[in-house]
Amino acid sequence: MPASLLIAWKDLRQRFRDRSAIMLAVVVPLALAAIFSMIFGPASTPTAFEYALVDEDRSPVSRSFDEDVLAYLEDEGIATVDEMEEAEARTAVSDGDLDAAFLIPPGFADRVQSRAPARLEVVGSVDAATATDVARSVASSYVQGLNAVRVAVAGVAHQGGSLTEGELQEVAQQTVAAAPPVTIEDISADAHVLDLKTYFAAGMAVFFLLFTVQFGVSSLIEERSDGTLSRLLAAPVRRSSILVGKLLTSVALGVVSLTVLVLGTSLLLGASWGNPVGVGLLVVSGVLAATGIASVVASLAKTAEQAGSWQAVVAVSLGLLGGAFFPVQQSGQLMATVSLVTPHAWFMRGLGTLAGGGEALAVLPAVGALLLIAAVTGAVASTRLGRIVEP
Amino acid sequence: MATDGDVMLRCTDLRKSYGPLLAVDGVSFEIRTGETYGLLGPNGAGKTTLISMVAGVLEGDDGAVALDGLRMDPSALDAKALIGYVPQDVALYPDLTARENLRFFASLYKLGRQEARARVAEVLDVVGLSERADDQVKTYSGGMKRRLNIGAGLIHRPRLLILDEPTVGVDPQSRNAILASIEALSAEGMAVLYTTHYMEEAERLCDRVGIVDLGHLIAEGPPRALTAELGQAEHIVMAVEGDLAAAVAAVDALAVAGRTTGDAGVLDVLVTDAESALPLVMEAATSSGAAIRSVNVQEPDLEVVFLHLTGKRLRD
Amino acid sequence: MTPLAIAGVNLRRTLRDRTNAFFVVLFPLLMVMVVGLAFGGEFTPRVAVVVERTGPLSEALVDQLESSGGFEVERVDDRAEAVEGVETGRLSSAVVIPEDYDSVLAEGGDALVEYLSTADRSAQQIGMVVRASVDAQSSRVKVARVLQDRLGDDLGTNLARTDQAAGSLQEVSVVTSTTGTALFPEDLGRFDLGASSQLLLFVFVTSMTTAAALIETRRLGVSRRMLSTPTRVSSIVAGEALGRIGIAVVQGIVIMVGSALIFGVSWGTPLGAVALMVLFATVAGGAGLLLGAVSKNPQQAIGAGLLVGLGLSALGGSMMPLEFFSPTMLTVAHFTPHAWAADGFATLVRRDGTVLDIFGELGVLLAYAVALFALGSWALRRRILQGD
Repeated sequence: MPASLLIAWKDLRQRFRDRSAIMLAVVVPLALAAIFSMIFGPASTPTAFEYALVDEDRSPVSRSFDEDVLAYLEDEGIATVDEMEEAEARTAVSDGDLDAAFLIPPGFADRVQSRAPARLEVVGSVDAATATDVARSVASSYVQGLNAVRVAVAGVAHQGGSLTEGELQEVAQQTVAAAPPVTIEDISADAHVLDLKTYFAAGMAVFFLLFTVQFGVSSLIEERSDGTLSRLLAAPVRRSSILVGKLLTSVALGVVSLTVLVLGTSLLLGASWGNPVGVGLLVVSGVLAATGIASVVASLAKTAEQAGSWQAVVAVSLGLLGGAFFPVQQSGQLMATVSLVTPHAWFMRGLGTLAGGGEALAVLPAVGALLLIAAVTGAVASTRLGRIVEP
Repeated sequence: MATDGDVMLRCTDLRKSYGPLLAVDGVSFEIRTGETYGLLGPNGAGKTTLISMVAGVLEGDDGAVALDGLRMDPSALDAKALIGYVPQDVALYPDLTARENLRFFASLYKLGRQEARARVAEVLDVVGLSERADDQVKTYSGGMKRRLNIGAGLIHRPRLLILDEPTVGVDPQSRNAILASIEALSAEGMAVLYTTHYMEEAERLCDRVGIVDLGHLIAEGPPRALTAELGQAEHIVMAVEGDLAAAVAAVDALAVAGRTTGDAGVLDVLVTDAESALPLVMEAATSSGAAIRSVNVQEPDLEVVFLHLTGKRLRD
Repeated sequence: MTPLAIAGVNLRRTLRDRTNAFFVVLFPLLMVMVVGLAFGGEFTPRVAVVVERTGPLSEALVDQLESSGGFEVERVDDRAEAVEGVETGRLSSAVVIPEDYDSVLAEGGDALVEYLSTADRSAQQIGMVVRASVDAQSSRVKVARVLQDRLGDDLGTNLARTDQAAGSLQEVSVVTSTTGTALFPEDLGRFDLGASSQLLLFVFVTSMTTAAALIETRRLGVSRRMLSTPTRVSSIVAGEALGRIGIAVVQGIVIMVGSALIFGVSWGTPLGAVALMVLFATVAGGAGLLLGAVSKNPQQAIGAGLLVGLGLSALGGSMMPLEFFSPTMLTVAHFTPHAWAADGFATLVRRDGTVLDIFGELGVLLAYAVALFALGSWALRRRILQGD
């Protein structure tokens, strides 16, 4: 057996002995997957928004808002709606007891039926941005309908003089009853776009990546302080074999732990990673890239302490830069370009191509980029090789 | 495979600096097959650096190391296969058992599985750890760890065994055991390179001794020959009370007196013939105003040789 | 030697090494850039619009989208380009107006507009605005058809009539306000507390995983050596911990100040923000101390550090924002220091709170810090005295 494999095997045996291997390869990824599934699980059926209606108009128009629009929300479980006075509603929203309140002022219907402007007010809690958005959206589309009727009536009147009550009703009915001629269809599911769960699972995985690969490299520094490094150097073993052996430990642990994370999030969280072959290619190339980066960082360190603290900073910074938790690419062209320096961005990109039923080969560009990162960092680390393996 | 007669190790003009510090300065020596060669010198003499270069762990700035005709440097795998290395600090994996440690090192030296298993059992026996072979090394006492440390260097039956101060901080019993096992190995025909700053060990074990100080090899030869070279065969050691410096000066002024030193109430003077010199020395000391508490006459040893050559003690 | 002296020595050792200073202090500037560009200054998400065949109705829809505000409309030549833009994350969303949009509507049929977006929350918000724009145009055509039915003539004429009628009216509108002092609507497509949640993640994770450093110190016997001097164990421990917290605080301040000054990221009132960050860093340091004290070797420390560091951060809302959490999970989240710190920042940033407003959160963080330090010190002391 080549020396590098012997050394890697010895390392892994030590890691199994102190249980850190199990910890890292299995326990941590599973626990993280479980935590994420806890966060997402109950939240995937979001709790109903809490709205209030302050109807100071008490007209058929305002009642219709309550009975048609808001009732629909309640029936669908999207929101609960309570009626109350304005002061109470405002306080409740301000205190965070309510997400938003709809305020229909007195005389609303009259104004709607005239040509005067009318306003429907939505008061939202600053901590419930999504709920407020939805409330605003609901109110807007309702008001849209009202405007349509007004415009239709005005349009007809404009041409044919004033209308009778009956004609007015007719026009209103016709407008209300007409189906919307333009509809919007969300085709995101068919595109190569990660769904929310998978996006977070992927972000977590890729973030995790740069931490797990520290093991092998840190063990090299350990050997130096243990004194066993000099024994390895005295043995008929190439220096490169020693380093490769250490890196193999990193790669082995990295691949296993990522695989467990992928499987764990698939099973527990319901994340859909896509074609297994594609995912496998991404995992292996991602681990290689991450190992390369970790080696470069470690090759600059003199002690395990230094290596450890530097790895942490690099891992977090690159993780964020690479878009592990929020889409950095949208922050501008500069960010999008800079993020491509990180393996994280390519890993996510590769996963994106697998979403929506992408084929395995679609990941090849991303895999190529990851391998390039691995090669470059590997080369840099190996020129500093002498430093690490100096006794 | 090239061989070099019966010269197992040949070091030629080795040189190594650490920045401005010249650790090894033009050292050359040879070790023959079956010979035990000692490198004697105080801490900081450059012994570990030399050893590291011989073991191919460190690259020298200049000079050459050859193992049985094979050139040795960090990438010389064939030369490395010939040596066994026992570093000064215990170099073992604490969370692996003795057996696992030995098996791992055996595999690095390309021993086949059968051979490795047999050899591991043998070595465990030799170092007396067969009973505790399957306990993790971190549970061992210091002495046990040291024995295993040596065992790990023997696993592949090296032609040259290199030991770097193997008895530092070791209790007398373990030390004895270690020395005995090295003698046994030497008797079997293994060449040994042994560094130490304990002259008793060097005298006991070594066929030849090289004395190093400040990166130089300042003398070389069998222990007996070195001491004999001095010409001045014995030294008188007196415990003295009073003004030691004055006593030293007075004794030193004598014609019969060779190198005279005074340290911690002890006066030490080299003489050719103690019997005749003794009364003169004692008189000189008392006349200077000191009171003599005890007198001892000692056979010369390497410590003396070292003192003579360098003006320093081996042990600080 | 007082704790401060020990901490001082540690810090000096840390910063004297130039490479160390780079990684520990300068590299976080990368964070500044990430946080700054992502969360500072003006941010306008980009929405691509594909008009497969131009016509008056298509253009009207594009105009509607452009005037909706909140995002920048980028006209793109073809569908493939738009899809690619969304898939690579360059665009938040894309709207595809099909080739037959104008013709179908002119003939009295129904048109379908395709919409494509990424899954994150920002895209969801944009989706609502896009929908509203499409609805507005749909409404316009609907009214024009009603007019067409009652008044005759072609669609184009009736569209003109519709526009004229609409122009003569003042519309019924929706006015939105919030009860915080922050303006609403916020910048579309950006999580306003993103900067602080990233900062919390950074500080906590780096502290946890550098706990391994403490093991090295133990191993090298430095702590033991200090014990032989007339120094109390508690001082040694305090000194070690202070040094590490000091570094975390320096990093945190670099990120906050850097992103605020260069990119205009809002952290709330400086006093409050710094107080929150310092206390959180202390909690993180305490957690790292405890971890470093109980771990047997660096590998164990890394594994456990990761689990606790990432796990707690996730539970505490540093990865997915707390507003996504269900009530149960929200309760669970508040067992983590992160959630409290996040609440604190919410008060500071969204409600323009002062230090007094976040006293509660600061208090909880302080309690965490004290508890972790007590536990960690006790554990470390045992380890050192046991000669481990």
